[in-house]
Amino acid sequence: MRSMGKDKNRLAWIIVSASVLIFPVIVGKGYYLSVMNFIALYSMVAIGLCLLTGYGGQLSISHSAFFAIGAYSSAIFSLRSGVHPILAVLLSQFVSCIAAWGIGAVVLRLKGHYLAIATLSFTMIVGVLIKEMAWLTGGLQGLASIPPFSIGGFLFNSDWRFYFLVWPVTLLLLLFSLNLVDSRMGRIFRATKENEDIARLFGADVKKYKVKLFVLSSMYASLAGSLYAHFVGFVSPVTASIMFAIDIIMILAFGGFTLLWGAMLGAASLTFLNEYLTVFADYKRAIYGGALILIMLFFPNGILEGLKGWGRFLIARQLRGARG
Amino acid sequence: MLLLQGISKRFSGLAALSQVSFGAEEGVIKGVIGPNGAGKTTLFNIITGVFPPSEGSITFLGKEISGKKPEEIARLGISRTFQQAHLFKSLTVLENVMLGRHYRTRAEFLACGLRLPWARREEKAIRESSLDYLGLFGLGDKRDMIASKLPMGEQRYLELARALATEPKLLILDEPTSGLNDSERDDFREVISQIRKKGITLLVIEHHMKFIMELCDDIVVLNFGVKIAEGSPREIQASPKVIEAYLGREETIDP
Repeated sequence: MRSMGKDKNRLAWIIVSASVLIFPVIVGKGYYLSVMNFIALYSMVAIGLCLLTGYGGQLSISHSAFFAIGAYSSAIFSLRSGVHPILAVLLSQFVSCIAAWGIGAVVLRLKGHYLAIATLSFTMIVGVLIKEMAWLTGGLQGLASIPPFSIGGFLFNSDWRFYFLVWPVTLLLLLFSLNLVDSRMGRIFRATKENEDIARLFGADVKKYKVKLFVLSSMYASLAGSLYAHFVGFVSPVTASIMFAIDIIMILAFGGFTLLWGAMLGAASLTFLNEYLTVFADYKRAIYGGALILIMLFFPNGILEGLKGWGRFLIARQLRGARG
Repeated sequence: MLLLQGISKRFSGLAALSQVSFGAEEGVIKGVIGPNGAGKTTLFNIITGVFPPSEGSITFLGKEISGKKPEEIARLGISRTFQQAHLFKSLTVLENVMLGRHYRTRAEFLACGLRLPWARREEKAIRESSLDYLGLFGLGDKRDMIASKLPMGEQRYLELARALATEPKLLILDEPTSGLNDSERDDFREVISQIRKKGITLLVIEHHMKFIMELCDDIVVLNFGVKIAEGSPREIQASPKVIEAYLGREETIDP
């Protein structure tokens, strides 16, 4: 993006961060805090996938698997080895990093649909391992009473407290991502997405970059998973469900694949929809799917770009009206 | 500086090039001509590592480069443009040139994401030198346009600016003037002479005879994948083999 866009992004980041952090202080405690916490966790995963898919052009359906790896590793380290949650989170990131590197180095040789299927298969494998390795993962029962995250004796054990852990982390990851896409690396990703062969003629070791981007992207998901485990205190095979991987892709479709802000907006919209559609119980997913089809039909680049386009259209019409 | 020895390329049995050998001295402009299908672009693709030769060796500055990956060859200082300008269509004009600075710079994920001071300085330097390259071609005020929106002639200049931004030692131009009119072509020749003054060696494929004869120090002629002549423009123009390749042979019909 140009320098103007860069400054706009930074300004937007400051405004959004300030609002998100001040809002609960003004409004006070309430049920909405829990919804907001989930929005942060989903945003984290969606931002990670946005980097890989929207900017790098590599579609992965394995982010729920890395979320689960992060969540289960954190649970296992803190329950079975009794390490401090901070260390548990760090060790989990290490585990995910190794896993993402191993799987990324193999599957990123594939492109397009083949890559999507390979990553989907990985998600299924992780799901099966979690169910079957009951001695480690608790099997279908899952693992309960995971200790909350804490720093120096301060426990992040309520919605209110967790809010001020998960949002700063999410916002910093967003800033990191905004910087990244607007840099030397961001340019080479966008170039690779467009034409990998030409990008290589500019001396870019595209294969290496793709694996590194995959690792980075997966670690966003895994960090969200770790924080989730310490927040909810309970993990089960549902955490690793493929539906969750699909949800994240839906979030991006909603917000626009090529916009980090869209990932945030998509996460917020879908989480709210999810909350308020509970009255429809089992039909929730159907309504959700219908909404997505409409979005894809009318706003193929996501709601953010779509609304911008409508805004421009309406302004142009107003101007024409004023003149004529 | 560039030496090709016995280069052959077969595509599933079809010989696109056979036993082509020639060299290019530092600082020269070397032309490669030949009728359509003579194997010129295949030859350029082999030099830049798009695919390996079936046989033969290519040395660049004394190093064997045949069979190396395109990114490795690029980093040694070989850059190219294409028959149809291959710009990154979703990037801006400036970003396309900034991409040319890629392997001359080194900030990776962490440095870029955290905006470390040295990475910011590097980004600023990339930006400034890229603007200089754009300025060379008078494209400075179009820097924020999406590259694909540029008119054809300017797309060619942009591609050249991007190739120069890599600071190549050898620059390979594949039909740089196709789609240009006569006056644009004259401008382009002027630009190429400027590039040569920077000490960059050039390898040029071209169909336009007047253009190539006036531009090059030395010309190689390919026909059906075989080198049929090599020499100065004057020698090439006088060579019966070349005339035959382009115009066909005179047949005498016995009564």
